[in-house]
Amino acid sequence: MSTKTELQQLSSKSKSSILAKLKAQVSGADYSKLPVEMAYEYPELSHQQQLELFTNNLTANHAQVINTSKESIERIVAEELSKRNLNKILIGTNSEYKDGLSAQLEVQEYDFDLQQNKPYLFNEVAASLSTSLCSIAQTGTIVLWPDENEPRTLSLVPPVHFVIVDAQKLYPSFSDVLVKQKWQQNMPTNIVFISGPSKTADIQQTLAYGAHGPKELVVLLINV
Amino acid sequence: MLNIHEQESKYAESARKFRKNVDRDLANQELRSNFRGAMDYLMDKRKTAFPEQDELETLRRQAQLIKQRCLLKLPHLLEELEQNLTKNGIHVHWAETPAQANEMIAQLIASKKGKTVVKGKSMVSEETALNDYLEQRDIECLESDMGEFIVQLAKEHPSHIIMPAIHQNKKQVADLFSGNINDFEHTTDVDALIQQGRKTLREKFCNADVGISGVNFAVAETGTLCLVENEGNGRMCTTVPDLHIAITGIEKVVEHMADIPPLLSLLTRSATGQIISTYFNMISSPRKKGEKDGPEEVHLVLLDNGRSQAFADDELRQTLQCIRCGTCMNHCPVYTRIGGHAYGTVYPGPIGKIVSPHMLGLEATSNLPTASSLCGACGEVCPVKIPIPKLLLRLRKESVKPESQQPVIMKGQGSGRTTLEASIWKAWSLVHKVPALYRLSMFMVTRFRFLIPNKLGGWTSVRTAPKPAARTLHERLRERK
Amino acid sequence: MSQLNSQHLRNYPQKPKQVYLYGTCLVDTLFPDTGMDAIEFLEHQGIEVIFPQGQTCCGQPAYNSGYQDEAKAVALQQIKQFPLDIPIVVISGSCGGMMRHHYLELLGDEPEIKSFCDRIFEFTEFLVHSLHIKLEDKGSPERVALHTSCAARREMGVHITGNQLLDQLDNVEVIKHDYESECCGFGGTFAVKHADISAAMVGDKTKNLLNADVVRYVSADHGCMMNINGSLEYQKQSLRGEHIASYLLSRTKEQGGSKC
Repeated sequence: MSTKTELQQLSSKSKSSILAKLKAQVSGADYSKLPVEMAYEYPELSHQQQLELFTNNLTANHAQVINTSKESIERIVAEELSKRNLNKILIGTNSEYKDGLSAQLEVQEYDFDLQQNKPYLFNEVAASLSTSLCSIAQTGTIVLWPDENEPRTLSLVPPVHFVIVDAQKLYPSFSDVLVKQKWQQNMPTNIVFISGPSKTADIQQTLAYGAHGPKELVVLLINV
Repeated sequence: MLNIHEQESKYAESARKFRKNVDRDLANQELRSNFRGAMDYLMDKRKTAFPEQDELETLRRQAQLIKQRCLLKLPHLLEELEQNLTKNGIHVHWAETPAQANEMIAQLIASKKGKTVVKGKSMVSEETALNDYLEQRDIECLESDMGEFIVQLAKEHPSHIIMPAIHQNKKQVADLFSGNINDFEHTTDVDALIQQGRKTLREKFCNADVGISGVNFAVAETGTLCLVENEGNGRMCTTVPDLHIAITGIEKVVEHMADIPPLLSLLTRSATGQIISTYFNMISSPRKKGEKDGPEEVHLVLLDNGRSQAFADDELRQTLQCIRCGTCMNHCPVYTRIGGHAYGTVYPGPIGKIVSPHMLGLEATSNLPTASSLCGACGEVCPVKIPIPKLLLRLRKESVKPESQQPVIMKGQGSGRTTLEASIWKAWSLVHKVPALYRLSMFMVTRFRFLIPNKLGGWTSVRTAPKPAARTLHERLRERK
Repeated sequence: MSQLNSQHLRNYPQKPKQVYLYGTCLVDTLFPDTGMDAIEFLEHQGIEVIFPQGQTCCGQPAYNSGYQDEAKAVALQQIKQFPLDIPIVVISGSCGGMMRHHYLELLGDEPEIKSFCDRIFEFTEFLVHSLHIKLEDKGSPERVALHTSCAARREMGVHITGNQLLDQLDNVEVIKHDYESECCGFGGTFAVKHADISAAMVGDKTKNLLNADVVRYVSADHGCMMNINGSLEYQKQSLRGEHIASYLLSRTKEQGGSKC
């Protein structure tokens, strides 16, 4: 086995060699003469049309979309869990829904480090609730920015994932999100787009849900 | 200085057996029917995903220009990517060869005393035969994409870059699970099979020391690694273990975040007909202070493996526009007939034919560029408008160019050249560039047509031999006047 | 029409008095009747057809095999045979694609190469777009399929004009066959170098044509037809293909019926 230093040396030698080869080809390139890249202009949609598109896309991808008000979130989560014979939920820390949920359910906050709690998260948590940053109509996509309150695995490991989406933060397309929110300027550790429950068609092109991530995605769309 | 054992890729050997592989797989009716069914499904899905021709063509043109711009700026974008990744806390390693990449990855795993690895789908790690390499060092390396998992259990390679186990049907998968998974209750129900895979693999995610993944796009301006997937195993591999190692080819870098939306849209719609994949995962740093999950360390290995050779020629450089959607194979009549394994290469189908010669040399791959009727279906659907048929022609040219002729563009130049074939084309050219000689030859062909054999090699194994007419069109028209 | 790419959109000359015919090497030695039929058909339209005796082969076989110098020498010779500024009608989509598109690559340095390429028209596109032809069907009712070569389809858009012409024949029902746009497996030297793969492809193509339950199939390319007909004959099937030039001539001639 090579030592770390030796590999670092090797990497920097490879780097010089690769870059030298590439630069030899394009060093004099004139970027000002690049052709104009035309984007396709999609028809403009009203907010209502966008909401419909968003919902239809998600539903087509096997997600359950429930229109609701902010005040009803806790009640609906409890109802949906009870339909599944569940009464526990994992939520983020500092959640505004904690008290409301605790009144009806056994609530666990994600207040632990994953490293020491993998078996718990993988084997004992049946459902989770997270919020979202915004959403995208064109693809039926929910955008999550996991953070210290809502870690990445909150929306990934439990088999049922409830996600709260604010209809007022719906954008027509991914491109529109980038234009408006300018993520480029400050990227978080992780951004994840979710457009349905986990799925696969790897066996004979037959769709099956719950490949590795959540089997169910329940979208609580705050729309009233 | 460190001595890394460079040996010929195992794929060079299997690519040389192309003809043998083709014979084997063409004769396998179950395999033929698995591929036909799968390709029909995927072609249909793609068609439905692009209802507007105008949108499709605008997107394709835009994506082509994005990729061409990024390639023109490639060395600078790679430097920018490294700077930004490093700033974000992600370590970058550069490898010219598969052996170098493997050694780097093994060292990273050893530094964490890692024993078990879970892998998300990565075709670049197939290029380096990483699984074999790590297993030889007693590191358990488990594929977690359902298709890759099946392929690994079967001790095979992916037969398709997007759907690795497309060559197997559910009955075959059930038999495979029966022989390999403890307590497996035999079923051919796909849901049940997937749940079985899920159960097995979740245990592994929970216990793995290291996650290895590929990368679909690397964004230079932000230092972000983007992964496209449906299953969630990619998110598992990049989130749950303490160490995440990503490996990718140097051509995957894009300049701006804003370059991603059109590329992503084309990728998923071309590949599987989905408007978007279930997950699109953007990773810009390891776990930050206060965060409760995510790897402590993230590394990116950038691999060349012949890409800089393709880069060195303006025409061949277009090969690197590829975003690995696999739609060229879905639409290829040759791939549909022979399947993905016959190629013997990591990348099968049309894209495999144009990219593998750079990775393995033209000598090992000399059968690939000729194994095309040049029907053009691949070029027609390529989302980044790679002129695949044109590049196949170019590779044929490089393959039969005399070995010593300068400039040498490719490793293995001239290896497809035989004296016999070269002299046939010389003679052909002579006959056809001198009209009188042509007319004389055709006169002879028609007059002595009874001498034309009824057996013409492979042609007459399934067809009758064509017979020259009694008199040529030239003659008949001369007489007409 | 979803396949129609911008490369197919071009300016077509109004019906000319004279045209050149490019016969192709395959028609010359194997299927001269097709050449004669095409000429007769064009002459019926009141067009004088000039067949330069110096023409040989477009160079595609060598070009597709990677022998570009050899192909170039032959291609250069072709250009010289067509000095007048009149359309060159090619009775093969594949050779037409070679001369219209690939000559630009191969002979890019030659003066006037662009104007030569611009004069190349595939037979059916010429009938539809230059002659705006109106066909009167004099044959008896029958079902046919159309097979277009891949080059014809993707480089020349011939599947569109081929269908437009057949649609004008009142008594002809054009039947779509499964995998119509899929390659028949010919591909020139491909069929010889990779005979097994080619055989699998032509096997499927003939199966699909036979399933269409037609009396004949029509095509604008003798390369594909040599492949498909050869396979059909080998299978002892009676179905055969006929070149669209011959087919149109026989359908529109007084006697009626087809002579195939």
